Amino acid sequence: MTAFLAILVVGVGTYLSRSIFILALADRTIPERVVRALEFVGPAVLSALVVALMIDDSGTVAIGVPEAAALVAGGLAGWKWRNLIYVVAAGMTVFWVMRVWF
Amino acid sequence: MRRRAFIDAMPLIVSAIPFALVVGLAITESGIGSLIGWTGAPLIFAGAAHLTLVTLLGTGTAVVAAVSAALVINARHMMYSAALAPTFQKQPRWFRWLGPYALLDQMFAIVILRKDDEPDDFRSYYLTAAAIFFIFWNIMVALGLLVGPVVPETWQLGFVVPVMFVGIVVMSIDRYPKAVAAVVGAATSYLFAGLPNRSGLLVGALVGIIAGVLADRGSGR
Repeated sequence: MTAFLAILVVGVGTYLSRSIFILALADRTIPERVVRALEFVGPAVLSALVVALMIDDSGTVAIGVPEAAALVAGGLAGWKWRNLIYVVAAGMTVFWVMRVWF
Repeated sequence: MRRRAFIDAMPLIVSAIPFALVVGLAITESGIGSLIGWTGAPLIFAGAAHLTLVTLLGTGTAVVAAVSAALVINARHMMYSAALAPTFQKQPRWFRWLGPYALLDQMFAIVILRKDDEPDDFRSYYLTAAAIFFIFWNIMVALGLLVGPVVPETWQLGFVVPVMFVGIVVMSIDRYPKAVAAVVGAATSYLFAGLPNRSGLLVGALVGIIAGVLADRGSGR
């Protein structure tokens, strides 16, 4: 029962964090300055998240040659083709092939 | 739009399989009960927080501490909410309430590229991707409970996620201040990697946003 309550609280908290600004700003005029600043949230948070995803159990960023090469390949593919399937194909191909050597 | 959403979501769905199975296994090992543990899949609908919560509860961590850790992990969603607020202004009220429920990392990553689409197209894309994630996630966590991690770990399918996110970051950069935001965000996140619960990413994101705004001003618009 305690476990279920804990799950429920985290569930509600998660929904609140996902909905807070979407609901709070629904009918308000968002100043142009703020809208412009919000443009940077996507690139900043996603690239920060990529680094955080590389953190291992000891709390340090663990990135080897295959990982680094794959991330570069994924980035280049996104830049060149602007298509997520190519990003995945390029990144994972490089990752799996490089792992054979490293 | 539906087809596009399906195609974009698929690699992220496949890469979520091993993680969902691990969440299922963690629920089994925690001893909190399969059904109760599984309810976190639809109720929390966020893999990392769900896994952390279940694991901590299983190791006998104080409930308040376990809940706090899970909430800290999910705090980044507030930034997703802010980033999409202008887009959701053009959406009907029901969708503004329903949509955020499914605003996972993966959802945010793929829909941020569509934020300036026509409102109807955006909604159609969003709802399709959300439905796919919802169905697969709930089934796969249940599957993890039943069969354990059947996908070999050596495949490292989960690596699709950072690869795809890097591609999305690159695709979202249409002027140089956004590149500044991305690079500074990543670098700061790296410097603060030692913070608990990966909260360094929050610092990284905030500093990245500020750097982007400053670069934007510097460029004289």
